[in-house]
Amino acid sequence: MRRLLLTAAATTAAVLTLAACGTTEPVADSSAKPSEAITLTDATGAKIKLDGPATKVVATEWSVVESLVTLGVDPVGVADVKGYKTWDTAAPLKNEPKDIGTRGEPSMDTIASLAPDLIVATTDLTPAAVGQLRKVAPVLEVTSADGSDQIGQMLENLDLIAKATGTSAEAATARKDFGSKVAEGKKALAGAGLAGAPYAFSDGYVTGNQVSLRPYTSGSLIGAVNEAIGLKNAWTVKGDAAYGLGTTDVEGLTALPKDVRFAYIANKDDASSTPFTGALAKNAVWTSLPFVKAGEVHRLPDGIWMFGGPDSMAAYIDAVVAALTK
Amino acid sequence: MAVTAPTPPALRPPAAVSRTGAAAVTAALVLLVVALAVTDITQGTAAVGPAEVLKALTGRSDPADASVVVASRLPRASAGILVGVVLGVAGAVLQAVSRNVLASPDTLAVNAGSYLALGLVGVTGVSLPVIASSGVAFAGGLLAATAVLALSGLGAGTVRLVLAGTALALGLTSVTEGLLLLFPQETEGLYQWNQGSIGQNGFDGVVQMLPVCLVGLAGLLLTARRVDALALGDDAARGLGVPVRATRVTVVVLATLLSAAAVTLAGPIGFVGLCAPALVRPLARRHRAFVRARTSLPVAGLAGAGLVLGADVLLRALVPADTAVAVPTGVVTSLIGAVFLVVMALRLPDPAGADAPERLRVPSRRAFLATVAVLVAVVAAVTVAGVLLGDSKLLLGDVANWAQGRAGRAVSFVLDTRVPRVLAALCAGGALALAGTLVQAVTRNPLAEPGVLGVSGGAALGAVLLVTSVPAAGTWGIAGAAFAGAAVTSVVVFGLAARGGYRQNRLVLVGIGTAAATTALISLIIVLTDPFNATKALTWLSGSTYGRTMPDVLPVALVLAVGLAVASARRTELDLVSLDADTPRLLGLRLSRARLGFLLVSVLLSATAVASAGTIGFVGLVAPHAARALVGRRHVRVLPTAVLLGAALVCTADLLGRTVIAPAQLGAGLMTAVIGTPYFLYLLVRGRR
Repeated sequence: MRRLLLTAAATTAAVLTLAACGTTEPVADSSAKPSEAITLTDATGAKIKLDGPATKVVATEWSVVESLVTLGVDPVGVADVKGYKTWDTAAPLKNEPKDIGTRGEPSMDTIASLAPDLIVATTDLTPAAVGQLRKVAPVLEVTSADGSDQIGQMLENLDLIAKATGTSAEAATARKDFGSKVAEGKKALAGAGLAGAPYAFSDGYVTGNQVSLRPYTSGSLIGAVNEAIGLKNAWTVKGDAAYGLGTTDVEGLTALPKDVRFAYIANKDDASSTPFTGALAKNAVWTSLPFVKAGEVHRLPDGIWMFGGPDSMAAYIDAVVAALTK
Repeated sequence: MAVTAPTPPALRPPAAVSRTGAAAVTAALVLLVVALAVTDITQGTAAVGPAEVLKALTGRSDPADASVVVASRLPRASAGILVGVVLGVAGAVLQAVSRNVLASPDTLAVNAGSYLALGLVGVTGVSLPVIASSGVAFAGGLLAATAVLALSGLGAGTVRLVLAGTALALGLTSVTEGLLLLFPQETEGLYQWNQGSIGQNGFDGVVQMLPVCLVGLAGLLLTARRVDALALGDDAARGLGVPVRATRVTVVVLATLLSAAAVTLAGPIGFVGLCAPALVRPLARRHRAFVRARTSLPVAGLAGAGLVLGADVLLRALVPADTAVAVPTGVVTSLIGAVFLVVMALRLPDPAGADAPERLRVPSRRAFLATVAVLVAVVAAVTVAGVLLGDSKLLLGDVANWAQGRAGRAVSFVLDTRVPRVLAALCAGGALALAGTLVQAVTRNPLAEPGVLGVSGGAALGAVLLVTSVPAAGTWGIAGAAFAGAAVTSVVVFGLAARGGYRQNRLVLVGIGTAAATTALISLIIVLTDPFNATKALTWLSGSTYGRTMPDVLPVALVLAVGLAVASARRTELDLVSLDADTPRLLGLRLSRARLGFLLVSVLLSATAVASAGTIGFVGLVAPHAARALVGRRHVRVLPTAVLLGAALVCTADLLGRTVIAPAQLGAGLMTAVIGTPYFLYLLVRGRR
């Protein structure tokens, strides 16, 4: 033990001598160049001052990454890049951003090393982490989700990010495109006689021999979009306050009305996310459900992020309309 | 180390002889299980209540209701019965062959081994059929059980078995949780699954596991006569011509097979294997028929089925149907089992005078000073390394610039966030080591430490309760809540163990039970309040310095300073208290007050350490031991050495967790468990000699 300690001390001393006194960055210079300043207030009421439109932006959550991509701002740092590429292809990254770690605990060091002008985070990030991020760059914190008005919240977040990045024109276009996509979807569904049709969206996971389902109630973003395009949310399960997500099992599906249309999104890269064609295929409860018998179960295309921004929701509307009017 | 072999049941004078009594008891148990199963069938998320079930069973209901009963309710109830039976039998037979009332699939780390094996498979992204994943779980469970039995010795100390099993389970679970954090997509749901739930997707699982279970059960019933012989003692069994070793190996393999089948079907359902035989044991005293394994094993199985179904029925009756889906049955059985463990620990005979002090050489003063000097150098080196290394590597010149306030933006930021984390790790490590030293001295128990005793778990429970109910809680609030939780658990643990002096086994076993209960409660709170945030629970339970700022470090730093001052001022008292029960009294020392004071300080230390860095196990155990091995028993020497060792250990663990898989990271607690488990097991093995 003692010899081990001695060796450790000696080795570390040697390493430290080698590392001594270099620097990885020149001493800070205090000459700043003034340009058109931007001031705005974020979701938490914090005032954010920017010297000009932010261009080097880091994002800690996929929904804001998507908004940035929509606005034509390529983020320099993104949490869990691989996961984003798997789950959100409606707004694909146009650059190769640096991976800043997990969405829950992004690495402070990596973010700092990117020296961003702006960090966009959501209220899901712990206050302690946001407090630290504020020291490296201005942090724009947007509300992650709001069960009372998901679409309004999504567009409000888009506008806030646009203001900070000087892309309000792009945001206005995105807003308009989304509005017309909703109108188009509503018209197509009404044309097919589906106005007010009962509809249920869910995803599901297989663990061991168990299947758990996650209903998207009318308090969820998908649920809000469903109602905007004239579908009737058929879930009676209660969702959580922010995301409007519930929990149920296969039995719970028996509470859905007989004429419901059922849709889900899975991912080909994640085998546990596809219970509907896999684990449930031979389940008697599932196969005896009236909408399963009627063939009203639709797998929407992969890569539409259920908690994303206008691009994902536009892709979702296209997918639902295509599936239901087929 | 104590050797606790309970009296073989066969030697007890039989009180009642009636065969009909035994039959009546068995019949009553069967009726209970049937009643619970019927109740379970009427519960669920679909609107299929007793009336619909009745109709479905008589074939008069509509096909939808019938399908719910056939494909969801009946499989769930039968999985509950199957899992309960095999766990009850496995526990009973393990207890019989090891002559150890605390042996069970949980305490032999079978569940943890299976969990890790399944986690490893999950990470590779291969999705296996049920049978194959059962095979993987079996291999993992068998490896873990073999390791525990090899380390603790068959038929030897109860405490050693539980300690070796619990320690190995902690270490294995830490690795699995590391995998969960590293591969969140591939292992999604594995965390919830780890709590154990009997819900089933159709009859497939039950049908595939049934033959495995039947083979295991039949095998055990065939060896039942030999198991009875083993209960008389190895020599007596050999005298009867029973191959002792072969019987043990066969029984352990079969019991592991049964546990692995249960794990595959429903995840680890905690503590059923421990409780079911314990419930049946008193029967053996009243009805002689239950003394024989061939009759007592099926009864233990019935008791197990009753426990699992009872927990499920209770859960679904108390919680709304949609929420009950998310709450794992295993959480409920873990809570029941933890209470059982505590009660049994209190009733366990505890031979006195077993705590022979470790034989240690006393190094010279010069050697002590040299050790401290080296340790100071190591702590300094680790601190500097912790500050320089991370996602972005810095050089000492950067730190110099930062200290003078001249550093650039990136460097300032990195150091502003990194330095508090390094300090939090150093202080938490030092505080836990000091707390461990104090508790070990006061209880004269070399295995006592805040983590093992459930004090850290109580602190985490308090903190999680506050964080969930008041999301904007500040640093001092969290530290206060952690202290309240730690205080309550330590009153429970020390209060229960205090009866008849702090006997070694009782204290540690009560502590382990409490620790298990706090972990189950934390899981329950997270599932009920924030079901989509498993990371939150893992972060709290795995010990993390993520997002710590200077003010967060303040409470633990203050308490550490105060604790060090108190401990060094009272170092002679510590020496006396740790010596034996009588000397201090002869010297006129108010023993109970001194003990209480030291315990209070150690509770404060553990609580603030948990508030600043989450639950970090093993440091409080490993550091004092290593310190005593290095510098002898006297506290004037042990205190500084242990604190320096603890600081170095946690700081190193934190550094590794932050850098090895950057930019993602692992909690310091996971790393210390990976380092601490082998050391703990080594201590146990050394103690056996």
